[in-house]
Amino acid sequence: MRALLTWLKFAWHNTLRNRRRSLVTVSIVALGAAGMLLAGGFALYTYESLAEASARDSGHLVLGTPAQFDRDEDVPLQHGLSGVQQLRATLLADPAVRHVLPRVAFTGLISNGDKSTVMLAAGVDPDGEFTVKGPFLTVTAGKTLAADAAQPQVMLGADLARNLKARPGDSLTLLASTTEGAMNAVDVVVAGLFTTGVPEVDKRMVYTSIATAQQLLVTDKVSTLGVFLDRMEATEPARQRLAAQLPQLAVQTWEEQAAFYRAVRNLYNRIFGALGLIIAVIVVSVVANAMAMAIIERTREIGALRALGTLPSQLLCTLGLEGALLGGAGALLGAALALAISALLHVFPMDMPPPPGRSVGYPLLVTVDASMYAVVMSLMLLLTLTASLLVARKTVRLPVVDALAHT
Amino acid sequence: MSPQNGPVLRLAGVHKHYQLGAHRIDALRGVDLDVQAGELLALTGPSGSGKSTLLNLCGLIDTPDAGDIELNGQPVNALDETARTLLRRDALGFVFQNFNLIPVMTVAENVDYPLFLADVPPAERRARVAAQLAAVGLAEHAHHRPDALSGGQRQRVAIARALIKRPSLVIADEPTASLDSHTAEQVLALMRERGRAEGAAFVIATHDNRLTARCDRVVNLLDGRIQCAPC
Ligand SMILES: Nc1ncnc2c1ncn2[C@@H]1O[C@H](COP(=O)(O)OP(=O)(O)OP(=O)(O)O)[C@@H](O)[C@H]1O
Ligand SMILES: [Mg+2]
Repeated sequence: MRALLTWLKFAWHNTLRNRRRSLVTVSIVALGAAGMLLAGGFALYTYESLAEASARDSGHLVLGTPAQFDRDEDVPLQHGLSGVQQLRATLLADPAVRHVLPRVAFTGLISNGDKSTVMLAAGVDPDGEFTVKGPFLTVTAGKTLAADAAQPQVMLGADLARNLKARPGDSLTLLASTTEGAMNAVDVVVAGLFTTGVPEVDKRMVYTSIATAQQLLVTDKVSTLGVFLDRMEATEPARQRLAAQLPQLAVQTWEEQAAFYRAVRNLYNRIFGALGLIIAVIVVSVVANAMAMAIIERTREIGALRALGTLPSQLLCTLGLEGALLGGAGALLGAALALAISALLHVFPMDMPPPPGRSVGYPLLVTVDASMYAVVMSLMLLLTLTASLLVARKTVRLPVVDALAHT
Repeated sequence: MSPQNGPVLRLAGVHKHYQLGAHRIDALRGVDLDVQAGELLALTGPSGSGKSTLLNLCGLIDTPDAGDIELNGQPVNALDETARTLLRRDALGFVFQNFNLIPVMTVAENVDYPLFLADVPPAERRARVAAQLAAVGLAEHAHHRPDALSGGQRQRVAIARALIKRPSLVIADEPTASLDSHTAEQVLALMRERGRAEGAAFVIATHDNRLTARCDRVVNLLDGRIQCAPC
């Protein structure tokens, strides 16, 4: 232990021999570490906010009949859930469950009398949907659905409304085939318009109340139940509990529902994985190069140390420590830099351009995750240590006479 | 190391050649040599006669093609690199022409280094380093770096470093070649005095005839062979 300290001190003094070279090496390791931490932090932030948005949209858990998730319907709600009230009571008895929101998903036509167009419709609980979910959509005109409305109401995606020249207060007709296969129609009033930031959705989406949807489809079933938990982390334990409690139903997590989240995560993992690999290669080659120069310059000195009875393994130890010192200093500096930039982005927000398929950007924020910092810093230490050992290996095993004769 | 009755170092029929491309250089052609405990042996001979080659073999930093080498009665030919390294650490000292002090270590740290390698307890190390530095007259330079010292002072540090672990043999290849003649004489006198005090034999390769006159014995090499019978 004491010997290791002596070797460390020797390594430290050696790093100070060519300060400019050490400074350049440390800076590049620092930039590499900061780059990894910021890119990783940005990816983490994106995953977190997408996960949150997905969970808020679908519910942390989604319950339905098994067929609902893996088979197509011949008629609406063929695989729907019945006995919703009792099911809801059972679910709300679970300590982690905060809210249960039913949903009737269906397709049909929406008409203003002159013109009809295809709609993707969702029957939702007007009380719960817009309070529980928070700001998942932006109301651009009018209001959200009211639970106690005198007439059946709808909310329209802004682009769909433009297509139908509909404004809040206007009357429209919903057409759909019932669970029996017959056609049915309901007259509705436009309560409000909204945008989700996804043009494809804004062009087709219609929200109405569960009651209106069930009236149109002539049923008392719902498609799914969205279960909202108190915390994100409660998702997996709650899924297992509920699946055990309700064996006849399928319980999916928000992640199984969130194709977009999975696609982004896949893409970012690849992009940032490649970026990390490139940074690692750069760091290794810069440190290897700097250490190779430092070692070649000191070949004769290494020969003298060997003549005095120093073992190659002892020289490897101190030269490895020398590289690790550069790597450690770089990692610390890089972590400080990444922290500072992360903090600055909170104080002075910047926006990212909209991702593909979206019309609104999102804030550029990076998550500061302790375990990510620990991993990246250890990685830098490991990379610089390995690079130094690799380049030192040859010189410390050089025949002593040859090393001493080196000029 | 342990005092022996026989010679500290014994070379018998030692051969060493170098291959430079197709060209073969026979640097040593059958050298027999005994170095007695505590003696100051001068190795002379013209340039290229094989002095450095011989010293490298004596210092266990090179291996012969043929012949036997014994250090303190122990045959060293069959030893692997680790064993040779440990033997150098424990039984040999080195003084180089260009000092080869470690520039990032202070004078005291340079002298202490062999004791550190040998795992001597810190308190004992401090005492021995102080005594050794006082003996070579560099006590007040203990905390200086080598580059703050003159050539003669650096070589004195090297002598202190070579003798600190009380080796049985010190190898010195042209230890005074980088020094002016006055300093060279002082350094040789110091080696003689300190070698006596510590009981270490010195094998010194040198061109300088004035210095050889002060050694216990002179061995002359010519074309890889020892010239005259030991006087
Ligand atoms: N590494 C080597 N490769 C090839 N030839 C060598 C090598 N080392 C020494 N020689 C040759 O071996 C012979 C003896 O060299 P050595 O260095 O032992 O002589 P020396 O007596 O020490 O000479 P000097 O007084 O110049 O130091 C010389 O001819 C030299 O050129
Ligand atoms: Mg020579």
